[in-house]
Amino acid sequence: MHVIETQNLSKEYTAKFSKQKVNALNDFSFNVEQGEIFGLLGPNGAGKTTLIKILLAITFPTSGSAKLFGTDVGNHKAKTKVGYLPENHKFPSYLTGEQVLNYYGQLSGMKQGSDMSKRIDEMLGLMNLTQWRKTKIKKYSKGMMQKLGLAQAMLSEPDLIFLDEPTDGVDPIGRKEIRDILAQIKAKGKTIFLNSHLLSEVEMICDRVAILNKGDLIKEGNVDDLTKAENIFAIHTVEPLSMELKQKVLGIDPGAGIGEREINTEAGIDKLNGIIDSLRSNGVMIQTVNQKTSTLEELFINVIKKDNTN
Amino acid sequence: MLTIIQNTFREALAKKIFIGYYIFYAIVILIMIFLVNMDSVEGVMSLADSKMLVHQVETGFLTISWNLIIFFSLISTASFIPSMLEKGTIDLLISKPISRPMILISKYLGAVLFVFLSMVFLMGSIWLILSLKSGYWDPTFLLSILWLTLAFAVMYSIVVIIGLTTQSTVVAILVNFFLIFVLCPLLSVREAVIFSLVTNETVKFVFDFLYYLFPKPGEFRDITTSLINGEQINMWKSSVNAETSTFTISWLSPISSALFCLVMMAYSIYYFTKKDY
Repeated sequence: MHVIETQNLSKEYTAKFSKQKVNALNDFSFNVEQGEIFGLLGPNGAGKTTLIKILLAITFPTSGSAKLFGTDVGNHKAKTKVGYLPENHKFPSYLTGEQVLNYYGQLSGMKQGSDMSKRIDEMLGLMNLTQWRKTKIKKYSKGMMQKLGLAQAMLSEPDLIFLDEPTDGVDPIGRKEIRDILAQIKAKGKTIFLNSHLLSEVEMICDRVAILNKGDLIKEGNVDDLTKAENIFAIHTVEPLSMELKQKVLGIDPGAGIGEREINTEAGIDKLNGIIDSLRSNGVMIQTVNQKTSTLEELFINVIKKDNTN
Repeated sequence: MLTIIQNTFREALAKKIFIGYYIFYAIVILIMIFLVNMDSVEGVMSLADSKMLVHQVETGFLTISWNLIIFFSLISTASFIPSMLEKGTIDLLISKPISRPMILISKYLGAVLFVFLSMVFLMGSIWLILSLKSGYWDPTFLLSILWLTLAFAVMYSIVVIIGLTTQSTVVAILVNFFLIFVLCPLLSVREAVIFSLVTNETVKFVFDFLYYLFPKPGEFRDITTSLINGEQINMWKSSVNAETSTFTISWLSPISSALFCLVMMAYSIYYFTKKDY
Protein backbone atom coordinates (compact mmCIF):
# COMPACT_ATOMS: atom_id res chain seq x y z
CA MET A 1 0.00 0.00 0.00
CA HIS A 2 1.30 3.45 -0.93
CA VAL A 3 1.24 6.21 1.66
CA ILE A 4 0.13 8.67 -1.03
CA GLU A 5 -1.40 7.59 -4.30
CA THR A 6 -2.86 9.83 -6.97
CA GLN A 7 -4.31 8.88 -10.33
CA ASN A 8 -4.92 11.31 -13.18
CA LEU A 9 -5.51 14.17 -10.79
CA SER A 10 -6.66 17.37 -12.48
CA LYS A 11 -7.82 20.65 -11.08
CA GLU A 12 -9.34 23.45 -13.09
CA TYR A 13 -10.13 26.83 -11.59
CA THR A 14 -12.47 29.35 -13.13
CA ALA A 15 -11.41 32.98 -12.73
CA LYS A 16 -14.11 34.92 -10.84
CA PHE A 17 -14.78 37.74 -13.27
CA SER A 18 -13.27 36.75 -16.63
CA LYS A 19 -14.65 33.17 -16.37
CA GLN A 20 -11.35 32.06 -17.86
CA LYS A 21 -10.34 28.47 -17.06
CA VAL A 22 -6.97 27.91 -15.39
CA ASN A 23 -5.45 24.45 -15.13
CA ALA A 24 -3.73 24.14 -11.78
CA LEU A 25 -3.01 20.40 -12.21
CA ASN A 26 -3.09 18.27 -15.35
CA ASP A 27 -3.53 14.52 -15.22
CA PHE A 28 -1.14 14.17 -12.31
CA SER A 29 -0.26 10.65 -11.15
CA PHE A 30 2.38 9.71 -8.60
CA ASN A 31 2.96 7.64 -5.47
CA VAL A 32 4.89 8.20 -2.27
CA GLU A 33 6.14 5.24 -0.27
CA GLN A 34 6.50 4.79 3.48
CA GLY A 35 9.63 6.30 5.04
CA GLU A 36 10.37 8.59 2.11
CA ILE A 37 11.09 12.29 2.26
CA PHE A 38 9.41 13.48 -0.89
CA GLY A 39 10.08 16.98 -2.20
CA LEU A 40 7.71 18.89 -4.43
CA LEU A 41 9.37 21.60 -6.50
CA GLY A 42 8.09 24.13 -8.96
CA PRO A 43 7.93 27.84 -9.69
CA ASN A 44 5.16 30.00 -8.19
CA GLY A 45 1.78 28.97 -9.56
CA ALA A 46 3.01 25.53 -10.61
CA GLY A 47 0.25 23.79 -8.63
CA LYS A 48 2.26 22.62 -5.59
CA THR A 49 -0.06 24.02 -2.92
CA THR A 50 -3.11 22.92 -4.93
CA LEU A 51 -1.77 19.36 -4.88
CA ILE A 52 -1.26 19.40 -1.09
CA LYS A 53 -4.72 20.91 -0.61
CA ILE A 54 -6.30 18.18 -2.74
CA LEU A 55 -4.46 15.51 -0.77
CA LEU A 56 -5.88 16.97 2.45
CA ALA A 57 -9.39 17.51 0.98
CA ILE A 58 -9.11 21.26 1.51
CA THR A 59 -9.73 21.60 -2.22
CA PHE A 60 -11.52 19.12 -4.44
CA PRO A 61 -10.10 17.78 -7.73
CA THR A 62 -11.96 18.36 -10.99
CA SER A 63 -11.18 14.76 -11.96
CA GLY A 64 -8.99 11.87 -10.86
CA SER A 65 -8.52 10.30 -7.46
CA ALA A 66 -6.23 10.62 -4.47
CA LYS A 67 -5.70 8.25 -1.57
CA LEU A 68 -3.84 8.44 1.74
CA PHE A 69 -2.95 5.06 3.25
CA GLY A 70 -5.34 3.46 0.76
CA THR A 71 -8.33 5.54 1.88
CA ASP A 72 -9.92 8.10 -0.42
CA VAL A 73 -9.02 11.63 0.71
CA GLY A 74 -12.72 12.55 0.65
CA ASN A 75 -13.14 10.41 3.77
CA HIS A 76 -12.00 12.52 6.73
CA LYS A 77 -10.74 9.39 8.48
CA ALA A 78 -7.95 9.26 5.87
CA LYS A 79 -6.40 12.18 7.77
CA THR A 80 -6.18 10.39 11.12
CA LYS A 81 -2.48 9.63 10.68
CA VAL A 82 -1.59 12.91 8.98
CA GLY A 83 0.12 16.07 10.24
CA TYR A 84 0.13 19.32 8.28
CA LEU A 85 2.03 22.58 8.47
CA PRO A 86 0.45 25.01 5.99
CA GLU A 87 2.31 27.92 4.44
CA ASN A 88 1.48 31.12 6.38
CA HIS A 89 -0.47 29.21 8.99
CA LYS A 90 -2.57 31.23 11.39
CA PHE A 91 -3.18 30.01 14.92
CA PRO A 92 -5.72 31.73 17.21
CA SER A 93 -3.72 34.68 18.57
CA TYR A 94 -5.45 34.56 21.97
CA LEU A 95 -3.90 31.17 22.79
CA THR A 96 -0.53 30.45 24.39
CA GLY A 97 1.93 28.09 22.72
CA GLU A 98 0.87 25.28 25.05
CA GLN A 99 -2.84 25.93 24.42
CA VAL A 100 -2.26 25.87 20.65
CA LEU A 101 -0.72 22.39 20.90
CA ASN A 102 -3.48 21.28 23.23
CA TYR A 103 -6.19 22.53 20.85
CA TYR A 104 -4.76 21.05 17.65
CA GLY A 105 -3.76 17.86 19.47
CA GLN A 106 -7.38 17.31 20.46
CA LEU A 107 -8.55 18.11 16.94
CA SER A 108 -6.12 15.45 15.71
CA GLY A 109 -7.87 12.93 17.92
CA MET A 110 -5.53 12.97 20.94
CA LYS A 111 -7.17 12.50 24.32
CA GLN A 112 -6.49 15.06 27.03
CA GLY A 113 -4.41 13.61 29.84
CA SER A 114 -0.92 12.89 31.01
CA ASP A 115 0.18 11.28 27.73
CA MET A 116 -0.80 14.34 25.76
CA SER A 117 0.80 16.69 28.32
CA LYS A 118 3.98 14.66 28.13
CA ARG A 119 3.96 14.83 24.36
CA ILE A 120 3.39 18.62 24.44
CA ASP A 121 6.34 19.01 26.85
CA GLU A 122 8.46 16.88 24.51
CA MET A 123 7.52 18.91 21.42
CA LEU A 124 8.05 22.26 23.12
CA GLY A 125 11.45 21.04 24.33
CA LEU A 126 12.41 19.80 20.87
CA MET A 127 11.56 23.19 19.36
CA ASN A 128 13.27 25.18 22.17
CA LEU A 129 9.96 26.78 23.07
CA THR A 130 9.59 25.51 26.66
CA GLN A 131 10.22 28.92 28.23
CA TRP A 132 7.56 30.48 25.93
CA ARG A 133 4.86 27.90 26.60
CA LYS A 134 2.70 30.23 28.71
CA THR A 135 3.18 33.25 26.43
CA LYS A 136 0.39 34.31 24.07
CA ILE A 137 1.48 33.46 20.52
CA LYS A 138 0.79 37.00 19.29
CA LYS A 139 4.15 37.79 20.93
CA TYR A 140 5.99 35.04 19.04
CA SER A 141 8.50 35.82 16.26
CA LYS A 142 8.05 34.37 12.74
CA GLY A 143 10.65 31.72 13.46
CA MET A 144 8.97 30.71 16.73
CA MET A 145 5.61 30.50 14.99
CA GLN A 146 7.12 28.25 12.35
CA LYS A 147 8.62 25.96 15.00
CA LEU A 148 5.28 25.89 16.86
CA GLY A 149 3.61 24.99 13.56
CA LEU A 150 6.03 22.13 13.09
CA ALA A 151 5.42 20.97 16.66
CA GLN A 152 1.66 21.05 15.95
CA ALA A 153 2.15 18.95 12.79
CA MET A 154 4.25 16.37 14.66
CA LEU A 155 2.30 16.31 17.93
CA SER A 156 0.05 13.32 17.32
CA GLU A 157 2.99 11.29 15.97
CA PRO A 158 1.47 11.06 12.48
CA ASP A 159 2.81 8.60 9.93
CA LEU A 160 2.69 11.21 7.18
CA ILE A 161 3.59 14.89 7.53
CA PHE A 162 2.89 17.55 4.92
CA LEU A 163 5.19 20.54 5.27
CA ASP A 164 4.56 23.59 3.12
CA GLU A 165 7.63 25.86 3.28
CA PRO A 166 8.62 24.71 6.80
CA THR A 167 11.76 26.87 7.04
CA ASP A 168 10.12 30.03 5.74
CA GLY A 169 11.23 32.95 7.94
CA VAL A 170 13.54 30.79 10.04
CA ASP A 171 17.20 31.84 10.54
CA PRO A 172 20.05 29.55 9.33
CA ILE A 173 20.54 27.97 12.78
CA GLY A 174 16.80 27.33 13.07
CA ARG A 175 16.78 25.86 9.56
CA LYS A 176 19.55 23.47 10.52
CA GLU A 177 17.56 22.48 13.64
CA ILE A 178 14.46 21.82 11.53
CA ARG A 179 16.49 19.74 9.05
CA ASP A 180 17.84 17.67 11.95
CA ILE A 181 14.32 17.17 13.31
CA LEU A 182 13.11 16.00 9.88
CA ALA A 183 16.02 13.53 9.76
CA GLN A 184 14.91 12.20 13.17
CA ILE A 185 11.34 11.80 11.91
CA LYS A 186 12.58 9.93 8.85
CA ALA A 187 14.69 7.66 11.06
CA LYS A 188 11.46 6.64 12.80
CA GLY A 189 10.08 5.45 9.45
CA LYS A 190 7.66 8.33 8.99
CA THR A 191 6.90 9.81 5.59
CA ILE A 192 7.44 13.49 4.87
CA PHE A 193 5.96 15.41 1.96
CA LEU A 194 7.92 18.64 1.62
CA ASN A 195 7.09 21.68 -0.45
CA SER A 196 9.93 24.19 -0.40
CA HIS A 197 11.49 26.91 -2.51
CA LEU A 198 14.89 26.33 -0.93
CA LEU A 199 16.32 23.87 -3.43
CA SER A 200 19.60 23.36 -1.58
CA GLU A 201 17.57 22.35 1.43
CA VAL A 202 15.40 19.94 -0.57
CA GLU A 203 18.57 18.43 -2.04
CA MET A 204 19.96 17.89 1.46
CA ILE A 205 16.80 16.40 2.94
CA CYS A 206 14.79 14.64 0.23
CA ASP A 207 15.12 11.13 -1.16
CA ARG A 208 12.89 11.77 -4.12
CA VAL A 209 11.54 14.87 -5.83
CA ALA A 210 8.91 15.82 -8.37
CA ILE A 211 9.12 19.00 -10.42
CA LEU A 212 5.86 20.65 -11.38
CA ASN A 213 5.42 23.37 -13.97
CA LYS A 214 2.09 24.92 -14.97
CA GLY A 215 0.26 21.97 -13.44
CA ASP A 216 2.29 19.32 -15.28
CA LEU A 217 4.66 16.81 -13.74
CA ILE A 218 7.81 17.36 -15.79
CA LYS A 219 10.39 15.40 -13.82
CA GLU A 220 10.28 12.86 -11.03
CA GLY A 221 12.92 10.64 -9.51
CA ASN A 222 15.57 10.04 -6.86
CA VAL A 223 17.62 13.12 -6.04
CA ASP A 224 20.92 11.28 -6.71
CA ASP A 225 19.76 10.07 -10.14
CA LEU A 226 18.35 13.42 -11.17
CA THR A 227 21.44 15.38 -10.22
CA LYS A 228 23.74 13.07 -12.22
CA ALA A 229 24.29 14.99 -15.46
CA GLU A 230 23.61 12.58 -18.30
CA ASN A 231 26.57 11.92 -20.64
CA ILE A 232 28.85 14.54 -19.14
CA PHE A 233 32.18 13.01 -18.19
CA ALA A 234 35.53 14.37 -17.00
CA ILE A 235 38.83 12.52 -17.63
CA HIS A 236 41.80 13.48 -15.51
CA THR A 237 45.29 12.43 -16.62
CA VAL A 238 48.47 12.03 -14.60
CA GLU A 239 50.69 13.95 -17.05
CA PRO A 240 49.90 17.08 -19.06
CA LEU A 241 48.44 16.44 -22.51
CA SER A 242 50.54 17.16 -25.61
CA MET A 243 49.21 19.32 -28.48
CA GLU A 244 49.18 16.26 -30.72
CA LEU A 245 47.00 14.33 -28.27
CA LYS A 246 44.66 17.28 -27.84
CA GLN A 247 44.16 17.36 -31.63
CA LYS A 248 43.44 13.62 -31.61
CA VAL A 249 40.82 14.06 -28.89
CA LEU A 250 39.18 16.90 -30.82
CA GLY A 251 39.14 14.61 -33.81
CA ILE A 252 37.02 12.15 -31.82
CA ASP A 253 34.81 14.77 -30.10
CA PRO A 254 35.04 18.24 -31.65
CA GLY A 255 32.99 19.67 -28.76
CA ALA A 256 35.29 18.39 -26.01
CA GLY A 257 36.69 20.86 -23.49
CA ILE A 258 40.40 20.24 -23.03
CA GLY A 259 42.59 21.60 -20.25
CA GLU A 260 46.15 20.89 -19.19
CA ARG A 261 45.29 17.53 -17.56
CA GLU A 262 41.52 17.39 -18.01
CA ILE A 263 39.15 16.49 -20.82
CA ASN A 264 35.39 17.15 -20.56
CA THR A 265 33.09 15.42 -22.99
CA GLU A 266 29.32 15.46 -23.43
CA ALA A 267 29.34 13.24 -26.52
CA GLY A 268 28.20 10.02 -24.86
CA ILE A 269 29.64 6.68 -23.76
CA ASP A 270 31.00 5.66 -27.22
CA LYS A 271 33.03 8.83 -27.68
CA LEU A 272 34.20 8.66 -24.04
CA ASN A 273 35.59 5.18 -24.66
CA GLY A 274 37.13 6.34 -27.96
CA ILE A 275 38.96 9.14 -26.15
CA ILE A 276 40.15 6.76 -23.41
CA ASP A 277 41.40 4.27 -26.05
CA SER A 278 43.25 7.01 -27.85
CA LEU A 279 44.88 8.28 -24.63
CA ARG A 280 45.86 4.80 -23.50
CA SER A 281 47.26 3.82 -26.89
CA ASN A 282 49.51 6.87 -26.62
CA GLY A 283 50.74 5.77 -23.20
CA VAL A 284 48.81 8.35 -21.18
CA MET A 285 48.10 7.34 -17.61
CA ILE A 286 44.52 8.10 -16.60
CA GLN A 287 43.97 9.21 -13.01
CA THR A 288 40.12 9.38 -12.82
CA VAL A 289 37.03 9.25 -14.99
CA ASN A 290 33.95 10.90 -13.40
CA GLN A 291 30.38 11.37 -14.42
CA LYS A 292 29.64 15.01 -13.64
CA THR A 293 26.80 16.00 -11.29
CA SER A 294 24.71 19.14 -11.27
CA THR A 295 23.02 20.74 -8.28
CA LEU A 296 19.28 20.38 -7.89
CA GLU A 297 19.04 24.10 -8.53
CA GLU A 298 20.83 23.75 -11.90
CA LEU A 299 18.61 20.83 -12.79
CA PHE A 300 15.48 22.73 -11.73
CA ILE A 301 16.35 25.81 -13.78
CA ASN A 302 17.28 23.75 -16.86
CA VAL A 303 14.15 21.62 -16.68
CA ILE A 304 11.80 24.59 -16.20
CA LYS A 305 13.51 26.58 -18.99
CA LYS A 306 13.27 23.64 -21.35
CA ASP A 307 9.59 23.07 -20.48
CA ASN A 308 8.74 26.75 -20.94
CA THR A 309 10.51 26.78 -24.34
CA ASN A 310 8.57 23.72 -25.45
CA MET B 1 -16.98 18.85 18.74
CA LEU B 2 -16.36 19.87 22.36
CA THR B 3 -12.87 21.10 21.46
CA ILE B 4 -14.23 23.49 18.82
CA ILE B 5 -17.04 24.66 21.13
CA GLN B 6 -14.50 25.28 23.89
CA ASN B 7 -12.29 27.24 21.51
CA THR B 8 -15.29 29.31 20.33
CA PHE B 9 -15.77 30.34 23.97
CA ARG B 10 -12.11 31.31 24.22
CA GLU B 11 -12.45 33.33 21.03
CA ALA B 12 -15.53 35.10 22.38
CA LEU B 13 -13.79 35.95 25.64
CA ALA B 14 -10.70 37.21 23.82
CA LYS B 15 -12.61 39.65 21.64
CA LYS B 16 -12.84 43.27 22.79
CA ILE B 17 -16.46 43.43 21.69
CA PHE B 18 -17.20 40.92 24.42
CA ILE B 19 -16.26 43.58 27.01
CA GLY B 20 -18.71 46.02 25.38
CA TYR B 21 -21.35 43.28 25.39
CA TYR B 22 -21.02 42.76 29.14
CA ILE B 23 -20.82 46.50 29.87
CA PHE B 24 -24.22 46.75 28.14
CA TYR B 25 -25.54 43.95 30.34
CA ALA B 26 -24.08 45.51 33.48
CA ILE B 27 -25.83 48.80 32.63
CA VAL B 28 -29.14 46.98 32.15
CA ILE B 29 -28.71 45.22 35.50
CA LEU B 30 -27.78 48.48 37.25
CA ILE B 31 -30.86 50.16 35.79
CA MET B 32 -32.98 47.35 37.21
CA ILE B 33 -31.30 47.67 40.62
CA PHE B 34 -31.56 51.43 41.00
CA LEU B 35 -34.49 52.58 38.89
CA VAL B 36 -37.12 49.90 39.38
CA ASN B 37 -38.92 50.66 42.60
CA MET B 38 -41.32 48.00 43.80
CA ASP B 39 -41.42 48.61 47.51
CA SER B 40 -43.16 51.99 47.64
CA VAL B 41 -46.34 50.46 48.99
CA GLU B 42 -44.61 47.82 51.06
CA GLY B 43 -46.90 46.09 53.46
CA VAL B 44 -50.00 47.21 51.67
CA MET B 45 -49.52 45.40 48.37
CA SER B 46 -51.24 42.02 48.15
CA LEU B 47 -49.59 39.00 46.56
CA ALA B 48 -51.89 39.35 43.55
CA ASP B 49 -50.87 43.00 43.16
CA SER B 50 -47.17 42.31 43.44
CA LYS B 51 -47.56 39.39 41.02
CA MET B 52 -49.26 41.67 38.51
CA LEU B 53 -46.65 44.39 39.01
CA VAL B 54 -43.78 41.93 38.51
CA HIS B 55 -45.40 40.61 35.32
CA GLN B 56 -45.85 44.17 34.07
CA VAL B 57 -42.19 45.04 34.73
CA GLU B 58 -41.02 41.78 33.15
CA THR B 59 -43.19 42.29 30.06
CA GLY B 60 -42.11 45.93 29.77
CA PHE B 61 -38.46 45.02 30.10
CA LEU B 62 -38.69 42.28 27.47
CA THR B 63 -40.65 44.53 25.08
CA ILE B 64 -38.00 47.24 25.24
CA SER B 65 -34.85 45.15 25.29
CA TRP B 66 -35.65 41.96 23.30
CA ASN B 67 -34.45 43.00 19.84
CA LEU B 68 -31.49 44.92 21.29
CA ILE B 69 -30.28 41.89 23.25
CA ILE B 70 -30.52 39.66 20.16
CA PHE B 71 -28.76 42.24 18.00
CA PHE B 72 -25.91 42.77 20.52
CA SER B 73 -25.51 39.01 20.79
CA LEU B 74 -25.26 38.79 17.00
CA ILE B 75 -22.68 41.59 16.84
CA SER B 76 -20.49 39.89 19.44
CA THR B 77 -20.53 36.53 17.63
CA ALA B 78 -20.79 37.53 13.95
CA SER B 79 -17.02 37.38 13.36
CA PHE B 80 -16.69 33.70 14.39
CA ILE B 81 -17.39 32.31 10.90
CA PRO B 82 -15.31 34.82 8.85
CA SER B 83 -12.37 34.42 11.25
CA MET B 84 -12.60 30.62 10.96
CA LEU B 85 -12.44 30.95 7.17
CA GLU B 86 -9.24 33.01 7.14
CA LYS B 87 -6.46 31.56 5.03
CA GLY B 88 -4.08 29.58 7.21
CA THR B 89 -6.82 28.85 9.77
CA ILE B 90 -9.36 26.98 7.68
CA ASP B 91 -6.65 24.89 5.94
CA LEU B 92 -5.42 23.63 9.26
CA LEU B 93 -8.91 22.95 10.59
CA ILE B 94 -9.97 20.96 7.52
CA SER B 95 -6.69 19.01 7.52
CA LYS B 96 -7.72 17.44 10.85
CA PRO B 97 -9.72 14.19 10.92
CA ILE B 98 -13.04 15.94 11.49
CA SER B 99 -15.82 16.17 8.94
CA ARG B 100 -16.70 19.57 7.54
CA PRO B 101 -20.34 19.44 8.77
CA MET B 102 -19.03 18.72 12.27
CA ILE B 103 -16.70 21.76 12.15
CA LEU B 104 -19.54 24.08 11.12
CA ILE B 105 -22.11 22.67 13.54
CA SER B 106 -19.60 22.89 16.42
CA LYS B 107 -18.87 26.52 15.60
CA TYR B 108 -22.61 27.28 15.44
CA LEU B 109 -23.34 25.48 18.70
CA GLY B 110 -20.38 27.23 20.36
CA ALA B 111 -21.90 30.62 19.56
CA VAL B 112 -25.40 29.54 20.65
CA LEU B 113 -24.09 28.09 23.91
CA PHE B 114 -22.07 31.24 24.58
CA VAL B 115 -25.19 33.38 24.14
CA PHE B 116 -27.24 30.96 26.26
CA LEU B 117 -24.81 31.38 29.18
CA SER B 118 -24.82 35.15 28.68
CA MET B 119 -28.62 35.06 28.86
CA VAL B 120 -28.44 32.99 32.04
CA PHE B 121 -26.25 35.75 33.50
CA LEU B 122 -28.40 38.67 32.28
CA MET B 123 -31.92 37.33 32.69
CA GLY B 124 -30.96 35.40 35.83
CA SER B 125 -29.65 38.63 37.40
CA ILE B 126 -32.78 40.55 36.44
CA TRP B 127 -35.02 37.78 37.77
CA LEU B 128 -33.08 37.80 41.05
CA ILE B 129 -33.35 41.59 41.37
CA LEU B 130 -37.10 41.62 40.66
CA SER B 131 -37.75 38.69 42.97
CA LEU B 132 -35.77 40.21 45.86
CA LYS B 133 -37.39 43.60 45.38
CA SER B 134 -40.94 42.30 45.09
CA GLY B 135 -40.82 39.19 47.22
CA TYR B 136 -42.58 37.35 44.38
CA TRP B 137 -40.46 34.64 42.79
CA ASP B 138 -41.77 34.12 39.25
CA PRO B 139 -39.92 31.23 37.55
CA THR B 140 -41.74 31.76 34.23
CA PHE B 141 -39.54 34.81 33.57
CA LEU B 142 -36.59 32.42 33.29
CA LEU B 143 -38.24 31.06 30.12
CA SER B 144 -36.93 34.23 28.47
CA ILE B 145 -33.42 32.68 28.67
CA LEU B 146 -34.58 29.83 26.47
CA TRP B 147 -36.64 31.93 24.05
CA LEU B 148 -33.95 34.59 23.64
CA THR B 149 -31.42 31.87 22.91
CA LEU B 150 -33.76 30.27 20.37
CA ALA B 151 -34.40 33.61 18.67
CA PHE B 152 -30.63 34.17 18.54
CA ALA B 153 -30.07 30.65 17.17
CA VAL B 154 -32.51 31.35 14.33
CA MET B 155 -30.93 34.70 13.44
CA TYR B 156 -27.41 33.29 13.79
CA SER B 157 -28.14 30.82 11.00
CA ILE B 158 -28.31 33.89 8.72
CA VAL B 159 -24.95 35.07 10.05
CA VAL B 160 -23.53 31.63 9.25
CA ILE B 161 -24.68 31.55 5.63
CA ILE B 162 -23.62 35.16 5.00
CA GLY B 163 -20.30 34.55 6.74
CA LEU B 164 -19.66 31.50 4.56
CA THR B 165 -20.59 33.12 1.26
CA THR B 166 -19.16 36.63 1.76
CA GLN B 167 -16.63 36.09 4.58
CA SER B 168 -17.78 39.47 5.85
CA THR B 169 -18.82 40.23 9.44
CA VAL B 170 -20.15 43.67 8.47
CA VAL B 171 -22.52 42.33 5.80
CA ALA B 172 -23.84 39.71 8.24
CA ILE B 173 -24.50 42.39 10.88
CA LEU B 174 -26.16 44.77 8.41
CA VAL B 175 -28.48 42.09 7.03
CA ASN B 176 -29.50 41.12 10.56
CA PHE B 177 -30.06 44.75 11.51
CA PHE B 178 -32.37 45.14 8.51
CA LEU B 179 -34.26 41.94 9.36
CA ILE B 180 -34.61 42.55 13.11
CA PHE B 181 -35.42 46.24 13.10
CA VAL B 182 -37.05 46.80 9.69
CA LEU B 183 -38.38 43.86 7.69
CA CYS B 184 -39.62 41.48 10.40
CA PRO B 185 -41.46 44.15 12.47
CA LEU B 186 -42.99 45.47 9.25
CA LEU B 187 -44.16 42.02 8.18
CA SER B 188 -45.61 41.24 11.59
CA VAL B 189 -47.93 44.25 11.37
CA ARG B 190 -48.80 43.68 7.72
CA GLU B 191 -52.44 42.83 8.45
CA ALA B 192 -53.05 45.84 10.66
CA VAL B 193 -51.03 48.43 8.73
CA ILE B 194 -50.04 47.39 5.20
CA PHE B 195 -53.23 45.58 4.23
CA SER B 196 -55.32 48.59 5.21
CA LEU B 197 -53.38 50.63 2.64
CA VAL B 198 -53.10 47.99 -0.08
CA THR B 199 -56.00 46.36 -1.91
CA ASN B 200 -54.07 44.35 -4.52
CA GLU B 201 -54.32 40.64 -3.64
CA THR B 202 -50.98 39.78 -5.27
CA VAL B 203 -49.17 42.32 -3.12
CA LYS B 204 -50.92 40.94 -0.06
CA PHE B 205 -49.88 37.43 -1.06
CA VAL B 206 -46.25 38.56 -1.43
CA PHE B 207 -46.29 40.13 2.04
CA ASP B 208 -47.88 37.00 3.52
CA PHE B 209 -45.32 34.84 1.75
CA LEU B 210 -42.44 36.94 3.07
CA TYR B 211 -43.95 36.86 6.56
CA TYR B 212 -44.05 33.07 6.64
CA LEU B 213 -40.66 32.78 4.90
CA PHE B 214 -38.57 34.98 7.18
CA PRO B 215 -37.84 34.36 10.86
CA LYS B 216 -39.82 36.27 13.45
CA PRO B 217 -37.54 37.09 16.40
CA GLY B 218 -40.00 39.67 17.73
CA GLU B 219 -42.76 37.09 17.97
CA PHE B 220 -40.56 34.90 20.14
CA ARG B 221 -40.88 37.78 22.61
CA ASP B 222 -44.68 37.71 22.31
CA ILE B 223 -44.64 33.97 23.02
CA THR B 224 -42.44 34.58 26.09
CA THR B 225 -44.62 37.37 27.49
CA SER B 226 -47.75 35.30 26.86
CA LEU B 227 -46.22 32.41 28.80
CA ILE B 228 -45.18 34.76 31.64
CA ASN B 229 -48.66 36.30 31.84
CA GLY B 230 -50.40 32.92 31.51
CA GLU B 231 -52.15 33.99 28.32
CA GLN B 232 -53.57 31.63 25.73
CA ILE B 233 -51.44 30.75 22.69
CA ASN B 234 -53.15 29.56 19.49
CA MET B 235 -51.80 26.55 17.68
CA TRP B 236 -51.59 27.73 14.06
CA LYS B 237 -53.01 31.22 13.60
CA SER B 238 -52.62 34.42 15.59
CA SER B 239 -55.89 36.25 16.23
CA VAL B 240 -57.27 39.57 17.44
CA ASN B 241 -60.33 39.72 19.64
CA ALA B 242 -62.35 42.63 18.29
CA GLU B 243 -64.27 43.14 21.54
CA THR B 244 -61.35 43.22 23.94
CA SER B 245 -58.74 44.30 21.33
CA THR B 246 -56.44 41.60 22.65
CA PHE B 247 -53.95 39.88 20.41
CA THR B 248 -53.32 36.13 20.72
CA ILE B 249 -50.07 34.79 19.33
CA SER B 250 -49.70 31.34 17.76
CA TRP B 251 -47.03 28.64 17.86
CA LEU B 252 -46.68 29.00 14.10
CA SER B 253 -44.10 31.79 14.51
CA PRO B 254 -41.48 29.72 16.36
CA ILE B 255 -42.24 26.67 14.21
CA SER B 256 -41.77 28.50 10.89
CA SER B 257 -38.69 30.30 12.28
CA ALA B 258 -37.19 26.98 13.37
CA LEU B 259 -37.81 25.58 9.88
CA PHE B 260 -36.11 28.64 8.39
CA CYS B 261 -33.14 28.02 10.70
CA LEU B 262 -32.96 24.35 9.68
CA VAL B 263 -33.06 25.22 5.97
CA MET B 264 -30.36 27.91 6.42
CA MET B 265 -28.12 25.53 8.35
CA ALA B 266 -28.67 22.67 5.89
CA TYR B 267 -27.70 24.93 3.00
CA SER B 268 -24.71 26.29 4.97
CA ILE B 269 -23.47 22.76 5.62
CA TYR B 270 -23.94 21.84 1.95
CA TYR B 271 -22.09 24.98 0.82
CA PHE B 272 -19.25 24.48 3.32
CA THR B 273 -18.89 20.81 2.36
CA LYS B 274 -18.54 21.59 -1.35
CA LYS B 275 -16.37 24.71 -1.16
CA ASP B 276 -12.67 24.80 -2.12
CA TYR B 277 -10.42 26.60 0.38
